[in-house]
Parts: sequence; structure tokens; C-alpha cells
Amino acid sequence: MDVTRRSHAKLLALDLLSLSTSRGCFYRGEMLVSRVETVGVVVSRSVKPGKLLFVVDDGTGCIPCVIWLNHETSPYYAKHSLPSVRVKAQLSRDFASLAQLGVVARVRGEVKGYKGSNEITVSDVVLETDPNAQLLHWVECVQLARNCYNKLSKNGV
Amino acid sequence: MDAIASGALVTLTELNQSSAYLKQGASLRVTGKLVDYNLVTAMAVIVDSDSSIQVDTSLLTIHFRVGSLYQFIGELNIEPNGEGTLRARVGRIVDGLDMNLYQQSLQLLREHLPELALAHNP
Repeated sequence: MDVTRRSHAKLLALDLLSLSTSRGCFYRGEMLVSRVETVGVVVSRSVKPGKLLFVVDDGTGCIPCVIWLNHETSPYYAKHSLPSVRVKAQLSRDFASLAQLGVVARVRGEVKGYKGSNEITVSDVVLETDPNAQLLHWVECVQLARNCYNKLSKNGV
Repeated sequence: MDAIASGALVTLTELNQSSAYLKQGASLRVTGKLVDYNLVTAMAVIVDSDSSIQVDTSLLTIHFRVGSLYQFIGELNIEPNGEGTLRARVGRIVDGLDMNLYQQSLQLLREHLPELALAHNP
């Protein structure tokens, strides 16, 4: 079953930051986790050459996030077609402009490790203007953990 | 980036003299209705049920409207008289937040956190 590899696992920050790693992969117990989703307040923002670093606080922890902005100069994208690279670059810039201090954002991406900590390499950002969105995320994380992830964590995927 | 402390979710009624949250420098996330705002000092007062807290909003650039619900994340400063003032680093208006649902969700979250600890350390 490949469901956890292809879907974005809704995890509380405490859960995400506690994921274990093995051979470059992240695990919640026996459950493989590669894509994740969080909702929280952007509490820090730092523009660096080729990337935006920001931190999302969901009330249970702070998750470091990175949006790469170096598509047009990165050797990784050199082999991709220029128009598609430009689209990706513009999308990333748009997402970066959304992640402002104090906003509540829904952030999705791949979980990566950096200097011993887990972080999200962001694939998309959506602003949550409904103040109850944070509560919904908490409840969804709890329900998914109890009814799905804990079972997958024991049995493995 | 330097590590940033997460604002612990706490209700104003929990921020009392004997509360474990009432510590100098504690990072907190508080929610309440704005009942007073001083433009000169940038001090706001928010209330929830019968409890209130002063919030230093000097670092914020948001618009303040008395009567609206606000949520702040910041660090607690304990005055010599034992009262706490939150120095907010971020804040937002949360009009429309269902406070009953908020309390219930908070309770659910707190019940779940020990389960999480167990899931990662069986």
C-alpha cells in the first residue's frame, strides 16, 4: 500500500519533529512519511540567497520550512525546459510572498532533515483566513493519528 | 535560523497566580477580546471569561479594534507585583473564532499529546 507515500500526512508539529529517519527516509513508527501538511502561524521569516526560510507554529511546536527560489540558476533544473522552470519559479515566489509574519498558513511539502532537525521543503502555501481553520487542523491531526497513523505505524506500510 | 520557542496554548483563566504557565519568559499563545488599547504605550488588554491580560503590542503592525477577538504569541514578563504582561511578537484578529470549540479543541489536543509521546517512544 503506497498511500502514505503519495498523500500529505496531517501531522502536529510535535509529531513531525519527532519523526525518525533511516536511510534518508522518515518514519512515524513503522509508517513511512514523505509528504506532510501543517497549519499554523508564521512566526519567523528570513530571506536568504536562493531561498526563503520561515517557521510555522501550530501550538505544539515550531516547524522550520524552506521555499527554494533558485530554480533559474540551480543546476538541478538546467535539464528541464525553460518555460516549466519559469512557471515553477514564479509559483515559488508567489508562495514565498504569502508566508508573511503573523499569518496562518497551510503548508504542504516533503519532510527533510537539516542539521539534525526535521523541516519541510515547501511545495505549496495557502493562507487560512478562517480563524477556525487551526482548530480543524488540530482535530484532524488527532483523528488521523488515532484512527489511521497509529495503526499504520504499528503494522508498517 | 535561531530556534524559536513555540507559543504554548493557554487560556487566560489558566494564567493565574498558581498556574504552571506563569513563568518569566514563557512563550505563550493567548486569545481574548480586546477591551482596551492605548495608542501611546501600545498596551492592549484582552479578556476571556473573567480573566484578562495586558499585551505589549509595540512590535506589531496590525490594526486594533476594541471589541474584536485577538490572538497573540509572545513572551511573558512578570511584573514585581506578580502580574504578567505578554510581549507579543505576532498577533492577529480572530473574529469568528468559536471560543467554545477552541476550548474543546485545546482539551482534545492536551489529551492527545501524551499519546503522541507514546507513539514515538513505545
